[in-house]
Amino acid sequence: MPTPTKGPRLGGSAAHERLIFANMSAQLFENKKITTTLTRAKRLRPHAERLITFAKRGDLASRRRVQSVIASRSRTNKSIVHELFENIAPAMADRNGGYTRITKIGNRKGDNAPMAVIELVMEPVSPKQAVVKEATKAAEKAAEATEEA
Amino acid sequence: MAVPKRKMSRANTRARRSQWKATAPNLVKTVENGRVTYSLPHQAKVVTDSAGTELFLEYKGRKVADV
Repeated sequence: MPTPTKGPRLGGSAAHERLIFANMSAQLFENKKITTTLTRAKRLRPHAERLITFAKRGDLASRRRVQSVIASRSRTNKSIVHELFENIAPAMADRNGGYTRITKIGNRKGDNAPMAVIELVMEPVSPKQAVVKEATKAAEKAAEATEEA
Repeated sequence: MAVPKRKMSRANTRARRSQWKATAPNLVKTVENGRVTYSLPHQAKVVTDSAGTELFLEYKGRKVADV
């Protein structure tokens, strides 16, 4: 469960914030990468990742839950839900969270707002990390064994 | 609506503005191909070709966005 955010809603009201997040996550799943302000990217991240978690579960109930967020107002967004469940979720199958990446790209011309790119992490999980984890575990076990002996 | 009654003097205006100060950004020093460069930390950098044309934004070896 993500930490509740402090401070005022984005866009002025709770309803507007919900719409902003729904639109932005739909665009993120459609284009795999969107450019937005840093504040919006940071607030979008837990929202979008929760939708991906539903997509990984993959049953009808979770599909309807995601549709109620993304495609309740626009029927065309149903294809985005399909894309999320059929293409994005399998790519994230081996990944335990951290489905999105935020990179800062400097300030916007005009209002000097800090901008960021938020993108889906579609690359397969690098085998290196798994090897490192296994190795550290084995080392710990070996250390325990020597202590006991 | 509250409205100023008197014109603000040039001295008061300038005294207020004298408090506007620019702050220097904290830069990190890196050595790339034997050349020392200073850049903002944790931010994508612009990649240029040898002629100095800006190509794209890069961060940690990944292409992030077009310029």
